[in-house]
Amino acid sequence: MRDRGALLWIALAFLLSAAATGFGVAEVREQRATIAELRAEDAKDRANALAGQADWGGAAYAAFHLTYAPPSDLAFAALGQRDTAPWLHRVRMLALEGQIHEADTKNADFGLIGRFDFAFLAATIAPLLLILLLHDLRGAERVAGRHDLLVATAGRPSRIWLPRAAVRFAGLGLALLLPFWIGAVIEGASLSKVLLGSALVIGALCVWWLLVEVVGRYKASPPVLLAALVGLWIALALLLPATARAVIEASNPVPDGAEILMLHREAVNDAWDIPKEATMTPFLARHPEWRTLGEVKKPFEWKWFYAFQQVGDQRAEPLAKAYRDGRLARDHAAGMAAFLSPASLVERGFERLAGTDARAMIAYEEQVRAYHAKLRAFHYPLLFRDPPYDPAVFKRLPSYRPAP
Amino acid sequence: MSAALRIAREEWRLWARSRVVLVAALIVAVLVAITSVLTAQRVADEANNRNARQASAEQTFFAQPDRHPHRMVHYGHYAFRSPPPLAAFDPGVDAVTGQSIFLEGHRQNTAMFADTRSGADLGGFAALTPANLYQLLLPLLLIIIGHGVLLRERESGTLAVLLAQGQSGLALAKGKALALAGVAGLFMLPVAALAIYAVSAGEAPLAAAMLFAGYALYLAVWAALVLAVSLWVRQRSVALGLLVFVWLLVALVVPRIGINMGSAAVDAPGKIESDLVMLAQQRSLGDGHNAADPAFDALQKQVLEQYGAQSIEELPVNWRGVVAGYSEAKLTAVMNDYAEDRMQMEAQQSRIVTWFGLASPTLAVGAASRTLAGTDLATHHRFLRESEALRFDFVQALNNLHASALSYADDAQRSSDPEAEARTRVNADAWRLLDSFRFAPDAASERAARAALPLAMMLAWLAMLGGAIVIGARRLTP
Repeated sequence: MRDRGALLWIALAFLLSAAATGFGVAEVREQRATIAELRAEDAKDRANALAGQADWGGAAYAAFHLTYAPPSDLAFAALGQRDTAPWLHRVRMLALEGQIHEADTKNADFGLIGRFDFAFLAATIAPLLLILLLHDLRGAERVAGRHDLLVATAGRPSRIWLPRAAVRFAGLGLALLLPFWIGAVIEGASLSKVLLGSALVIGALCVWWLLVEVVGRYKASPPVLLAALVGLWIALALLLPATARAVIEASNPVPDGAEILMLHREAVNDAWDIPKEATMTPFLARHPEWRTLGEVKKPFEWKWFYAFQQVGDQRAEPLAKAYRDGRLARDHAAGMAAFLSPASLVERGFERLAGTDARAMIAYEEQVRAYHAKLRAFHYPLLFRDPPYDPAVFKRLPSYRPAP
Repeated sequence: MSAALRIAREEWRLWARSRVVLVAALIVAVLVAITSVLTAQRVADEANNRNARQASAEQTFFAQPDRHPHRMVHYGHYAFRSPPPLAAFDPGVDAVTGQSIFLEGHRQNTAMFADTRSGADLGGFAALTPANLYQLLLPLLLIIIGHGVLLRERESGTLAVLLAQGQSGLALAKGKALALAGVAGLFMLPVAALAIYAVSAGEAPLAAAMLFAGYALYLAVWAALVLAVSLWVRQRSVALGLLVFVWLLVALVVPRIGINMGSAAVDAPGKIESDLVMLAQQRSLGDGHNAADPAFDALQKQVLEQYGAQSIEELPVNWRGVVAGYSEAKLTAVMNDYAEDRMQMEAQQSRIVTWFGLASPTLAVGAASRTLAGTDLATHHRFLRESEALRFDFVQALNNLHASALSYADDAQRSSDPEAEARTRVNADAWRLLDSFRFAPDAASERAARAALPLAMMLAWLAMLGGAIVIGARRLTP
């Protein structure tokens, strides 16, 4: 390690990795603190809201319930979709389609420019650092006129280049991974995930090393080699993912979100003006257990009110499902396309390990849907049977539990 | 000047013969051209689409049948943020914020269905847009083309000859600068085309011209950096390595570090978080659906006095409608306080990020570009404020109707008495009270004023690098 230039790149990699890990750990802690604070506030607010109620319908209307997806033990390394997809909701007994698409948007510039997290560093910056480290191993000797002599004395060319490259490679890998490992210990990340993540980083760097080796065999000057390698890096880390993304999105359409909401709104609001049976028939088709109590006599009854909320969801169901399936199809296609770009593969790999990828965010939405269904199952007997109002019953309200 | 021109011409001739440079330039030119056309088309489609949706949302609102005015409060309305013409160059935050917002009584919703939520995730880079290509790719191209601009002369020994012939280092630098400026100028043509296109689509010439100037300044900063490094460093491979490294920091690392710092320095609560805190305060205001809520006792006394009535039944107005309007106004004041706080904090975060423009011209040009295009965070905030004003106006107009057009007795009975229910339906002609809404970004002069700071940062960069070039050229030796 006499080479001061090489030491500089490796020191830089270490600094950037430490910064990325530090930022990631801080952000994840803040998200956990937010969730803890909101859970307390949520319980207080619900108690407060329920206290003033006098009937089952009013209580169901007033009570909000917090749902959330806590960051995983590895989320510090890859915040992924958590910047753009919501991981907090407050739902109530009203139609869910009007609530679940609510986005708890953070500063839009964050999602636009992106965060500096470990996954980004490992996927995008590290290969460029590797290129800067390794591109002129041969070329520099060639320029210095020692190349042929060195090759001749060593007998086999690999004997000279391999150890030198290996030392630099190991230095870079260690500089990158050391802060990540420390972060993982602080966060108590599971060993298997950390090993998989480390393997991902090393594996992708090996691919880049191979590319540098292949390009480096051309007898060109170091600047030309570097230019070619940077070009390759742009193509693989920047242009290919962006192009693949555009192609995937064009070939896997999802319904426009506004359509879901508008259809849903019409369905819910029309209910006020159409005969009560038009609401109760599709509702009772889904819930035959309430058929005997399904008659609505007055212009307004709570059971009818919540029935049309659910029928609104039922009407939007095909579109909402198409939206979800479209997103999953896009994600699947992106997973395939990622095999063409080591940078995408590393970033997606980390997001998968950290549970911050599109699939995990959709899974969270499914959890919210499941919880909302539980809320309905809890409230419907009260609304349809309408026993004397007793707030003590709400002690048995289903509580939300995030998936482990 | 003729000597400088001759030097520049030689340089161009050399680049034209070099296959690496030619291929790289061609690839970038094709990419920029394709991306520009595709983005312009997509944004134009989006604009048409959203304008059509806005008009159809108004039509469906007007076309609602006779019903109770409060039903229309909950029926709600949509506001769409149509992309301005320059979004064809820089779509900005649009993909992240979502483009439509649902407006209804008693609530401020967030903009929904951001493209990023349904996007195919392939890593940290945003979609291909002309702005991204200019911000990230063109500097690299300038580096690859220009890093040897002086070093090549040095390495081939022609530098000594040139200097011996009596060319001053300054004249030499001028010629090389001209050569690089020529290349950068060539790559400014697509921006010019998009700027002219935007003006023809109704954008103010000032904004389009400043956007053009901003990117010209940005490329000038990179060209100056390339020249300065070529002047100061003695080896071509070191120069290239150094420039690629600076690019890495300036274009990729510093902007993201800026984001992390902004987010760490100012903890802006999300909407759900601040809603929850707000809700406790909101509950103390009373429920506007419940006219008997004790929170409205003082109001009741005041209104009875105002009309000289003994009881709410005697009032010439519908007490329930009065309560609905009163509580909506109170509630909106609270919601706006929280929303304003949230926006202020986000703006503060973005200001911190903008100051990182001192360390990264890429960040500076991005901020200037989004601002001038009318696709920045501030413009999105304006959209939120304007759609909120629209929301409040139609909700209050409906509440006034609720107070003036319905009798209290019918209104109170409507849940249990079908005839009273029928009498509380207002004629659908009344729904015309909704104002039409077309979103337009700030005036060009305002956007230009906001973009002044990041533009000044780039000017400072250019001045500093210009100084480095002059000093380096003066002490240029073979």
